[in-house]
Amino acid sequence: MKSTALILSASAIALSAMAPAHAQGDSITVAWYGGNWGDAFQACIGTPFTEATGIKVVPDIGTSTTTLAKLQQQAGAPTLDVAFLDGGISELAEEAGVLAPIDLKAIPNAANLADAAVYEGDNGVYAVSGGFYSLGLTYNTQEISKPPASWEDLWNDDYAFAVTIPSPSNSSGIPFIFFLNQMLGGTSDDFSPAFEKLKSLDAALYFDSSGAASNAFQSGEIIIGAHFNVGAWGLADAGLPIGFVVPKEGVWATDARLHLVKGGPNPEAAAKFLDTALSAEAASCLAANLYLGPAVKNVEVPEEVAGKLPWGESGSVDDLLLFDWNEVNAKRAELTDMWNRELAR
Amino acid sequence: MINSRSTVAALVFLPLLFFTAFFLVPLTVVATASFTNGDGVPTLANYARILLDTYHWSVIATTFRLGIVTTLICILIGYPLAWYLVRIVKFRSWRRLCVILLILPLFTSNIVRSFGWMVLLGRNGLVNETLQMAGLTERPLRLLGTETGILIGLVYILLPFVVLTIGNALAKIDHSLEQASADLGASPAATFWRVTFPLTAPGIAAGAIIVFALAVSAYVTPALLSGGRVTVLAVLVFQQYSSVFDFHYGGALAVTLLVFTMAIIGISSLVSRLGAR
Repeated sequence: MKSTALILSASAIALSAMAPAHAQGDSITVAWYGGNWGDAFQACIGTPFTEATGIKVVPDIGTSTTTLAKLQQQAGAPTLDVAFLDGGISELAEEAGVLAPIDLKAIPNAANLADAAVYEGDNGVYAVSGGFYSLGLTYNTQEISKPPASWEDLWNDDYAFAVTIPSPSNSSGIPFIFFLNQMLGGTSDDFSPAFEKLKSLDAALYFDSSGAASNAFQSGEIIIGAHFNVGAWGLADAGLPIGFVVPKEGVWATDARLHLVKGGPNPEAAAKFLDTALSAEAASCLAANLYLGPAVKNVEVPEEVAGKLPWGESGSVDDLLLFDWNEVNAKRAELTDMWNRELAR
Repeated sequence: MINSRSTVAALVFLPLLFFTAFFLVPLTVVATASFTNGDGVPTLANYARILLDTYHWSVIATTFRLGIVTTLICILIGYPLAWYLVRIVKFRSWRRLCVILLILPLFTSNIVRSFGWMVLLGRNGLVNETLQMAGLTERPLRLLGTETGILIGLVYILLPFVVLTIGNALAKIDHSLEQASADLGASPAATFWRVTFPLTAPGIAAGAIIVFALAVSAYVTPALLSGGRVTVLAVLVFQQYSSVFDFHYGGALAVTLLVFTMAIIGISSLVSRLGAR
């Protein structure tokens, strides 16, 4: 085991030596996601930050999981300054000890953060939210004329074999089981209500990636299901007959969070970057581009954007069901195993 | 002599380094994790968890059933295709075009091709629409989310490998052997089964091993075409590494897949060697 660690750290050092060297202070390295998410982060946070400070932003593209792996490998000599991680992975990173505490006083815009958008651990604040997204009821408006009002509509016979929900391999999979279980009156010790109900669901697809869900909605293979507001409205904006609603039972939501990397090369610039990310302008830009629900108060969004935010037309961040990810992570292995045995066969 | 030896050493060194860095080291990391628990203490518990549980045996059975059936279908379709390309096509340019058409799909990503099959095999997809228009079925068939769907995808993706290996073996056969067989009075069928077919056996075996190994370890195609409703070992491994983060149990699943694959390939080559005697 020790030799393994040695080899890993040796390759990490070799890799970091190969990484382009940037003189301290004139650039920072920020890990964020690919695709339209990365583009939006660049446009809404990266470019304004560079314009204001003259400090270049070097993106390091990867999913939350790969970024966490990088942070763990580089723990000795990090090259990243700021990391975007999804809820859930954020808690794992804190547990792994690769994050630096965030001094909110040093970040003027942090004063506007909603209470739910600040994450505190034993060593102080380890993450701040960059915006919320939810897993709501998404449907094909051509096939379903009246917008569904309840999650129970997934079990409607008319939609048999045209339904999708996330699989445990998707970041929303396990929290969705928590959500359903709570809705059906189960407790965190007894998930049988959720599994009994799911067994009777005639699903065509348990999606691993949100891209697979979008693809299935696009081809008409799926006419109703659980999908992220970001992906669903993305399809609608592309001209497809897709709608997204927050059902009466509510929606589970999570967020893309910003973290300071422990031992990162440019801590001061990193804190400034967080300040830019928490500005009202950045939040409203992300809302317009990705329909991310702002984590800071006093953000103005145009009306047509407001209706597409994770909490729906008439909600706010307080309406989102945000579970304790530590509790979710603790049950992850057990629920994945239950899912495999009961549903995925 | 010494000179040539050092040249050989130099030539071997780079591939060896590559093989060590990108195959042996990762494999050792995975294997080490599979024999330890979270505290780094050696244990066999991860393997006990897999092998003493009928659920895992059913996943292993699904995985290898898909692998074996994919291999058989690929050979059944691939042999005539290779025969057509090597023996029947007369024009060199047409043959070249056929080979290009055959390997062209290999230049696109597995993910894109599997997404393509999701569209074709779907409820409203081309396959179901054609079947319904032809009046063969009344309601759409369930193809996605079944082993049949995965099988179609795997055969499509892996077929070129058998055609190429069998085609290569066919092209190498000395025609005078077949002419001799005919001269000695063998019917065309007897010539095929007793001369041509045995001479292409190494090509079939090579193609079969490639297809089988790729089919049982495939992740993308089963993950997309199963719709999460059929579980193969590679999907379980991915789950443990990507979302549960249990590298010990995940590593043990990966090693189990590797050992079973090598065992089946070993047994089948032993059987075919004994059969050839």
